[in-house]
Amino acid sequence: MKYVIIGNSYAGLSCVDAIRRFDKTGEITIISDEPYKAYARPLISYYLEGKTTDETIWYKDDNYYEKNDARTMFGKTVSSVDTASKNVVLDDGSIVKYDKLFIGTGGVPFVPPLEGFNPASPMMGTFTKLNDAKKMEAASKVAKNKEAIVIGGGLIGLKASEGLRALGMHVTIVELLPRVLGLALDEISGQITAKRLNKNGIDTVTNDTVIKINLDGTGNPESVTLKSGRELIADIVVVGVGVRPNVAFLEGSGIKVDRGIIVDKTMMTSVEDIYAGGDVVVTYDVINKRPNIIAIVPLACEQGRIAGANMAGVYREYPGGMGLNSVEIYGLPIITIGLTNPNDPSQSVFTYQEGETIYRKLVYSGEILVGAILLGNIDGAGILSAIIRQGAKCLSYKDEFLKGNIFSFVIDNEFEIYNINEGYAIRGDFKDLPEFSRTNWR
Amino acid sequence: MDKFKLTNLKADLKKGRTEIMLYPSKCDGCEGEEFHACIKACEEHMKEKYGKYSGARVSIKKKNGKFFPVICHNCDEAPCVDACMPGARYKDAETGWTLTNYKKCVGCWMCVMVCPFGAIERVEGSHFASKCDGCIDEDVPKCVSACKRNALLRTGIKNYSYERRLMVAKKMYGPYVKMHYAGIIKDKRG
Ligand SMILES: Cc1cc2nc3c(=O)[nH]c(=O)nc-3n(C[C@H](O)[C@H](O)[C@H](O)COP(=O)(O)OP(=O)(O)OC[C@H]3O[C@@H](n4cnc5c(N)ncnc54)[C@H](O)[C@@H]3O)c2cc1C
Ligand code: SF4
Repeated sequence: MKYVIIGNSYAGLSCVDAIRRFDKTGEITIISDEPYKAYARPLISYYLEGKTTDETIWYKDDNYYEKNDARTMFGKTVSSVDTASKNVVLDDGSIVKYDKLFIGTGGVPFVPPLEGFNPASPMMGTFTKLNDAKKMEAASKVAKNKEAIVIGGGLIGLKASEGLRALGMHVTIVELLPRVLGLALDEISGQITAKRLNKNGIDTVTNDTVIKINLDGTGNPESVTLKSGRELIADIVVVGVGVRPNVAFLEGSGIKVDRGIIVDKTMMTSVEDIYAGGDVVVTYDVINKRPNIIAIVPLACEQGRIAGANMAGVYREYPGGMGLNSVEIYGLPIITIGLTNPNDPSQSVFTYQEGETIYRKLVYSGEILVGAILLGNIDGAGILSAIIRQGAKCLSYKDEFLKGNIFSFVIDNEFEIYNINEGYAIRGDFKDLPEFSRTNWR
Repeated sequence: MDKFKLTNLKADLKKGRTEIMLYPSKCDGCEGEEFHACIKACEEHMKEKYGKYSGARVSIKKKNGKFFPVICHNCDEAPCVDACMPGARYKDAETGWTLTNYKKCVGCWMCVMVCPFGAIERVEGSHFASKCDGCIDEDVPKCVSACKRNALLRTGIKNYSYERRLMVAKKMYGPYVKMHYAGIIKDKRG
């Protein structure tokens, strides 16, 4: 059996692990357009802050590829997939044959139409790859006024700002929404976050956007003009608006794409023997109960694993995922789970606040918890994630949760909430495996 | 009913395929004593083993006089491994335990966000997330030997899986569940 994996990151490697769990001999080839072994993509901002280094940013052990007997083709871009003859075509014209294909190509940064933006300039760019971080590191050294503008206050924009700030730049985030992390945070937590950022040298301009980058003689930015008419000095401009599924190379392949790759419950695409997972797919959102693109690490790993098991011939279904987020803003941890900004009036919201250090918000739909924000104190956050994902009834616990006694739910219910046979926690015991499948892992 | 053998405790223990089984109803929070014995034992041991990344990996939560030891349940497909961005948490291929390479941990708290048992602690000062490693390199985990009430016991993975199912079944169906099998854990200390 020839397995080919496009994408050497969370989804792709989790798929490799799953294949190797069930198929020790099949041939595995991993293709990636980046020249490195797998690195922790979201850590590129920590890399700039020095919290991770050239030694620790690598996602897997050094001998990972040999240990898993995987052939690697790094620095090669896939230009198309020929589904009829089961070939992957690389940009140098060479061909890789597959029996089962996994597509985990992640996202490409989205750049809105913006006058003056030129990613080839050493002082401008997006922020999703290790090379982007290295570029910013170099740019900060030659920046004259130490002023950086980050367009977009979402997760990527925020991380880019933290990174640039650590390089000694004064950063201004320009965000179209009324607050940073506008989709995940609510007004109160957004305000607390903004204050933290401002105190640490990151300014936030909200309800506004950049309409033009003014260039100097050499094609590098000098300043930016905002929609509101303001002009801000800028040595560095980073566009961190978000990512879109990386599907351009699939055009004409017959694989169904609607924004992202459409997959079924087994993570198979519309073409047999081709699977996909990670930021590139449209997955089922268990909270909003509709297909959605949720670009986060935990889901990329889960989806890769389900796909890998199915590719190796072990039938498994993916129940769907939900949005989750964890950030730490200069010492203040914030976790958001599921639906945090409800606009359905039938849903009820409960909050608790202690100044600017602790904030909790719970969103209930009837008796079922569907979303939460924990700011300041995040102990037991995972219990809430489990409850929310499973849709357990827990309205009677709302006061305990607001007080921060999240463990009270577990104490009362002991192990019951984690349905062991269907398995949230002890998830390996699925039907198609022999009893006590946990031994198979070993 | 004849006794039948479902598990093979001895073989599992020999191969280091062990788990720490919880019996929360037996935990009395070390009543009358100043410290919880398991926490203290763990703290000391972790300091020896991990140095800078010390701190107890077990904690005791309390509600209305009921105590509950919170500790890693070593999930098969562990959510914390999935969520860990730097790849600090990983599955040990031999023992199946979810282990941590603390050097890689950056304190992003993704694992805290997903652990369904709330077993990961955010260590604010030194900025890392600490988690039980099962003391698989020890004969008996320190918390287990410290617990006088047998609320924490070491067992093989098959027994563990079986016992957990039985516990849930008993809770749901009460006295109707009667199972006999040989090798059920009476004494784990050996
Ligand atoms: C700055 C930043 C911060 C983030 N912070 C968080 C966070 O805090 N929490 C969180 O959960 N998520 C975060 N994310 C999102 C997270 O990085 C993604 O969800 C995750 O990387 C998705 O993994 P993936 O395997 O789907 O794809 P990716 O990691 O995007 O990997 C795609 C792979 O495909 C390869 N590839 C792409 N196209 C081709 C081609 N044509 N030919 C060959 N190879 C190709 C690439 O080389 C790469 O190896 C962050 C992202 C960024 C950029
Ligand atoms: S720390 Fe939590 S999520 Fe990770 S293996 Fe242990 S119980 Fe599971």
